[in-house]
Amino acid sequence: MRAGRFLRRFARHRLAAASALLLLVLAVAAAAAPWVESWLGVEATGISLLDRFGPPSALHPLGTDELGRDVLVRLLYGGRVSLFVGVAAALASAVIGTGIGLLAGYFGGRLDDLLMRVTDGLIALPLLPLLIVLGAIDLTRLGIPPEVAGAEDASLLRIVVLVALFGWTTVARLVRGATLSARRRDYVRAAVAMGADSRRIMLAHILPNVAAPAVVATTLTVGNVILLESVLSFLGLGIQPPLPSWGNMLTNAQELVGTAPLLAVWPGLLIFLTVIAVNLLGDGLQDALDPRVVGKR
Amino acid sequence: MRTGIAALALAAALMGTPAFAAKDELVIGMTQFPSNWHPSMEAMMAKSYVLSMARRPFTAYDPDWRLTCLLCTELPALDKGTAEYETRPDGKQGIKVTYTINSKATWGDGTPVTTQDVLFTWTVGKHPQSGYANFDLFARDIVAIDVKDERTFTIHRDKPVCSYAEINDFEILPAHLERPVFEADPATYRNRSKYETDTTNPGLWFGPYRIAQVEPGSHVVLEPNPTWWGAKPAFKRVVVKAIENTAALEANLLAGQVDMVPGETGLPLDQVLAFEKRHGSRYNVFYKPGLFFEHVELNLDNPALADVRVRRALLHAIDREAVSKQLYDGRQPVAHNEISPLDRVHAPGYPTYPFDPALAGRLLDEAGWSERRAGVRHNAKGERLALEIMTTAGNRSREVLQQVLQAQWRQAGIEVRIVNEPARVLFGDTLEKRRFKSMALFAWISAPENIPRTILHSSMIPTEANNWAGQNYTGYRNPEMDRVLEDLEHVCAPEANRALWAKLQTLYAQDLPNLPLFFRADPFILPTWLDGVVPTGHLDSSTLWIETWKAKE
Amino acid sequence: MTRFLASRLLQALAVLLLMSFVITVLMTLMPGDPVDMMLAGNPRATPADAARLKALYGLDKPLLERYWHWLQAALAGDFGFSRLYAQPVLTILLPRLGNTLLLLGAAMALTLAVALPLGVYAARRPYGWADNAINLFCFAGISVPAFWLALLLILLFAVELQWLPASGLGPVGGEGWWQRLPYLVLPVASLTLASIGGYTRYVRAAMMGELRQDYIRTARAKGLGEGRVVWRHALRNATIPVVTIVALEFGALFSGALVTETMFAWPGMGKLIYDSIMGNDLNVALVALLFATLTTLAGNLLADAAYAGLDPRISFKGDGA
Repeated sequence: MRAGRFLRRFARHRLAAASALLLLVLAVAAAAAPWVESWLGVEATGISLLDRFGPPSALHPLGTDELGRDVLVRLLYGGRVSLFVGVAAALASAVIGTGIGLLAGYFGGRLDDLLMRVTDGLIALPLLPLLIVLGAIDLTRLGIPPEVAGAEDASLLRIVVLVALFGWTTVARLVRGATLSARRRDYVRAAVAMGADSRRIMLAHILPNVAAPAVVATTLTVGNVILLESVLSFLGLGIQPPLPSWGNMLTNAQELVGTAPLLAVWPGLLIFLTVIAVNLLGDGLQDALDPRVVGKR
Repeated sequence: MRTGIAALALAAALMGTPAFAAKDELVIGMTQFPSNWHPSMEAMMAKSYVLSMARRPFTAYDPDWRLTCLLCTELPALDKGTAEYETRPDGKQGIKVTYTINSKATWGDGTPVTTQDVLFTWTVGKHPQSGYANFDLFARDIVAIDVKDERTFTIHRDKPVCSYAEINDFEILPAHLERPVFEADPATYRNRSKYETDTTNPGLWFGPYRIAQVEPGSHVVLEPNPTWWGAKPAFKRVVVKAIENTAALEANLLAGQVDMVPGETGLPLDQVLAFEKRHGSRYNVFYKPGLFFEHVELNLDNPALADVRVRRALLHAIDREAVSKQLYDGRQPVAHNEISPLDRVHAPGYPTYPFDPALAGRLLDEAGWSERRAGVRHNAKGERLALEIMTTAGNRSREVLQQVLQAQWRQAGIEVRIVNEPARVLFGDTLEKRRFKSMALFAWISAPENIPRTILHSSMIPTEANNWAGQNYTGYRNPEMDRVLEDLEHVCAPEANRALWAKLQTLYAQDLPNLPLFFRADPFILPTWLDGVVPTGHLDSSTLWIETWKAKE
Repeated sequence: MTRFLASRLLQALAVLLLMSFVITVLMTLMPGDPVDMMLAGNPRATPADAARLKALYGLDKPLLERYWHWLQAALAGDFGFSRLYAQPVLTILLPRLGNTLLLLGAAMALTLAVALPLGVYAARRPYGWADNAINLFCFAGISVPAFWLALLLILLFAVELQWLPASGLGPVGGEGWWQRLPYLVLPVASLTLASIGGYTRYVRAAMMGELRQDYIRTARAKGLGEGRVVWRHALRNATIPVVTIVALEFGALFSGALVTETMFAWPGMGKLIYDSIMGNDLNVALVALLFATLTTLAGNLLADAAYAGLDPRISFKGDGA
């Protein structure tokens, strides 16, 4: 019943629609990286010292970087990493946040107090410095086996886990608020009165009602995480080479910005476009799902 | 947005005339800011760069890598009678060395530099609670100091070392200012020293310049020191600015807010090469290869690396010449040994390992890594030839080099994974406790004619038992090498000494305890109007001769 | 009200205490102790040297004992010395705090000065082309990687046009505060561009909410001028959520200006916290991080107070979600 209205409202947001399309294109392109690689006949890790800073050519449509690697293919692989980090971290924090928000809002009382105090506490923490401390911690000292801690994509998982650990608070607060209002609805009261199982009520009756704010907040988180990854790369704590990410490609390019400005322009532009698209999409979703909710970035 | 534009216009108006017209001021931009100011507490390139303008050690290596006297009048020598072997009361052999302080040396507040300062410095240095970094120079190497008069003193050293004349790390302290502070409580002296609490006190300095103003984390201002005894410094003011981000530092240079970027703690080589191509005509850019030994440290406990054939193959498999040419424009020479060819003690004739993939392949076959599956070599037991290479995360130049090495080794059938850690983790723990699995890429920094005892002697392998002391992270043991290292300290007859140095380099090249890559070249970017800067290429910075720097007429 | 404040203060204290302990533990979990780092550059250091220095810095004692000593001294107002800078922690901290407050204060003031009119303007004609343009501008600001924006600003205004100094706190030897102004422009601009979007959107949303309220309709019906309705009545109420957000975000900004501080060589708190963590300077890291936490907590408290003070409809009972 509401689908039509949703679509109409969403379509009114032409920017949001365009953003969704752009994100789709980027995601598909990133997913297609290996095919592009073999189609062009180049290798993302293929270093060639003789082809440094090559201009665009048929073989390398966007030229080559400081090690003679194909910029286009690296951007696509970098997109995989950056988008994965953004989406995975946002989803993980959304799951945690929704769970905590539902429990707190539904059961109320002591549990609510406890969970909300924890949330307040976490919100009070200075996020970036904590990420720096945690980013430098020796994982093996926490009992994590060295094979996992030293794996090539450990830097990727570390960022996802850290963001999930600290990023769920926004979603939790929104979901709790929505749960509180959903609980007061008649059909939920009726379900409670009929003695339905709490888990069933939460999943079947409340969750659909709280999904909207959660979806919006999660969308916006994706953008923030992609930006955060670039900051961590700037500090040398981000995704480690040879795995490319837009963040580390941008960081690496800044020193050479005079010689090869395009090396910095492409990843910078992709980060910018992706984040702005994600934000516009979130904005559109928000208006479409619930025009009354006060904007939250 | 209108507000923003108005603000810009206002700012432009306030700036007025640009400040870089005056040639009686020199603005130096570095990537580090000295965190503290005591000359002996913690070694740090940025600190010694600034302090070298305001004070002088007794001895130092000059730009030609020869030991020279800066605060003393003449280097002590056996043939001049200022150095003499002696038998100490406990029956051991030692040597006594006599120095005379320059008669015009005066602290910035007018107090002469005397032997009282020497004695006080020794007292502080050997006090177990003072927190000196080079405690052993004061507490172990120096057995006694006799004072002859105000300016002349004799140091008794515990061993008859060949490098007896060198006391580069004996950083003299002003007794008249520091003694009361130290005596009040030696254990907290480090934090209460006037160098930290009263950095701009003229009495702490005696160089051509003295520190006049410190803005922590941002800049230091130096002004001429009126009591300086040497050539009159040319600038009314020297400003040292710290701009940590290298892209921002380059922008500052181009914007004219920084006059020069020194090689000691400035921009990375590849950035400067690119900079020179675009702006070389407006600046005086040059490169000084030196004693910064970029290499791959190997962990010889790794079964694959324990085999010398594998180590040689690793070196034959990488094309260092091509890397030097393509990445560094040939400015950064390939290293074939631990000793730099520019060092007086360098002795060519040792084996070298040029790029030779076929030979690398044969060596690996011989070592049992003969079967290639999906491009990666395996041995008879079915184990992969898979290694790991670590370096400091965020160091772009090394990350780039690392990826080149990885690609070239892959060609040879050696799988190498890159695992990087922040500097504090890599140096503070991983290397020191020998936790790195196979390889680590970093540089050793040394003085000329430095005996590499701490990195090659078998007693210097860090272990739990010796509290992780020593820097033989490799775990290299060779009794012959141990003997050479020990003999080098006291076999001083020129012929015999040279033979030992040659032996050391041959042993190193044969055993290949680590993989020599390059001798790092420090890039200097100077304004065309500046004259007299001579880079050193070692730990003693070019500012030790800053009084010769001047603006061209 | 008093009871509420008292309980919030107690909570804040508990959070601070917990934080100080957690930071100590985390810093210990980071590899490499300070003495090992100091000796890393010294080839001749022996085990005895390491042991001697560790005893000197009290590192030979167990974690809990060290923490207890720190806590006792800290409660007496002694935060110890910085390992890196060999100076009392507060001597290091306070000048940087001043720098940060100047930078952030200026950025915040400019942000609000631009965001308020922009947000109000957008809210009056929602979904018009101006609103869409403002919206796009807002999101653009939020979406640029901070160091990239900073570098672009430096390259444009300091290198190409040479209008503004590229970085630094102020001219060397400059006395008057006005001489520092040009140095503030670029860092403030880059912080402002990044935060303007968020605030404009808060203002817009709040204003749209207010303009739908009955009292506005009444005011309009009474024939009050549109400007007066918007700027005097609606904006006053719309300010409440905005003030709240300002208070809430200030703490985060306080420790989060690291990138801007690094790019513009502006020694502030963000950089100090980063350097002390990477340099294993526990005393400085502890106090600086606690300070950042304290600012955030104070911001939260202030937000609640502002909410209550500005809007009589809100009481401190109930869930307040």
